Amino acid sequence: MDSASLWTLSSTLIGGIATLAIFSFLIRENGFYRFFEHIFIGVAAGIAPMLTLRDFLWPQIIDPMRGVTITTYPDGTLSGPYQPLYLLYIVPMIFGSLYYALYSPRHAWLAKVVIGFTLGASGALAIRGFFSEVIPQLAGSFKPLVVISSGAISWSDSINNVIFVAILLLVLNYFFFTFGKEGSLQGKSAPLGRPLLMVCFGAFFGSTVMARLALLVERVQFLLQDWWTAVHTIVGIG
Amino acid sequence: MEPRRLIYLLMIIAVAAPVMFGLSQAPSRLVSAERMYSVVDTVEVKPGEVALVWLDFGPNTVAENEPQAVVLLEHLFRRRIPVLLLSQYQQAEGFLRRIPQEIAERLEREMVGQTWRYGEAWVNAGFKPGGAIFIQSLVNAADIPKFLGRDVSGMPISNFPAFASIGGVERVKIVGEITGLVGVFDSIVQFFQKNGYRPTLVHGCTSITIPEAYIFLDSGQLKGLLEGIAGAAWYSEVIKKHFPLSDNSKLLVTNTALSAAHIMIIALIFAGNVVAFVSRSRRSRG
Repeated sequence: MDSASLWTLSSTLIGGIATLAIFSFLIRENGFYRFFEHIFIGVAAGIAPMLTLRDFLWPQIIDPMRGVTITTYPDGTLSGPYQPLYLLYIVPMIFGSLYYALYSPRHAWLAKVVIGFTLGASGALAIRGFFSEVIPQLAGSFKPLVVISSGAISWSDSINNVIFVAILLLVLNYFFFTFGKEGSLQGKSAPLGRPLLMVCFGAFFGSTVMARLALLVERVQFLLQDWWTAVHTIVGIG
Repeated sequence: MEPRRLIYLLMIIAVAAPVMFGLSQAPSRLVSAERMYSVVDTVEVKPGEVALVWLDFGPNTVAENEPQAVVLLEHLFRRRIPVLLLSQYQQAEGFLRRIPQEIAERLEREMVGQTWRYGEAWVNAGFKPGGAIFIQSLVNAADIPKFLGRDVSGMPISNFPAFASIGGVERVKIVGEITGLVGVFDSIVQFFQKNGYRPTLVHGCTSITIPEAYIFLDSGQLKGLLEGIAGAAWYSEVIKKHFPLSDNSKLLVTNTALSAAHIMIIALIFAGNVVAFVSRSRRSRG
């Protein structure tokens, strides 16, 4: 067995044991489950900074600054000249590093500069993002109640749009808490929004259950197919 | 046995039986998945233009997102549209490498003599941190291969002929976003545009995020949607209709196991209500 197959086999075996350990919680809380839960949290926390360093900071920032991305061809010529402007990356890196000044009570104010900058940039992005995301949705909700298609009324589209607009208005009406008298049309129709919201929450809950079951299906497939084959391979070797 | 444990056992049996015996049923027709197929099938891509696909998922949503990534990439590969793969999520790293490779090998087995090679059919730009800021920079870059720099193996993306002449975002004709993460898909909708140009956007979402994704579909911001495993299963059926040798048997078994689990839940809800009703009637009769 070559090293790649051995690696695949051992990772499949460990994956299956880890899955069974987490599923053992369904019987009762136990040490086997706790052990693998801690491993999972540790791996999940460690993988993010490691991959950021390996896949982004090192190849995209550090290597160009060091000039090691320049290839030397067999005839001695270079793929391009060294760009000293890459050294400017140091400026935002130092600025971002000021965040760690939080750990020094004397210099903690420096971190506030970074936090303020981040908040300002995030706020500006959020405003821009809001408009480019929500405005088309608002425009999309203004639907014609009578849809004319090829010179004739399209009854199915018209009924769809009427239902859509009616639900939209009823749900919006439900959330008017500032005005509206009991006995008025607005006051009488407001409770109608409630069952519609319940239908919506039911759909959300149903789709959440479906997502969780999909995870179960994937794990059961893994255990019954990949893991079981790996176990057989090990028993065969033994 | 405690009722709670009996429920767990019944659920596992319901899911395991189709997997063990390879039972599969034809999936239900999903209009949004079908619409996505026709969008991907008809989008016009000239030489030098590409598709950009974000695989923003990890092991936590792989059950739903991997089949979606498979059917979308398979369709793009069959159409010979070069695919630039990248991710905003660190844990997608392994999937970025494995999924396109497996599809290419499967297509090469299906169509002997044809090849789908790394660097021609796809390039893996890897994990890119920065979220919305990265997307904005990517969209505003005059030369996307130069902006992205190197692929995961350290090779300059501009060295691959199919990707060397992309230029700006106007040459990205279709964007696919496969994710179950809240906020990640939104940032693509919000920022993947330049001077009024928006490429065709298609999305594969997990079941949890379906209600949110429908809003984008309804407003026209999204041109096609794969809803969980069911969406991927129907998309694979449409592919099979056009390419009969395409193998979607494993995905159909997965979809059937999911349906079996749903039937079991409905049966348990019904049985629970009957038991509660009968025991209440007995109590009231004394």
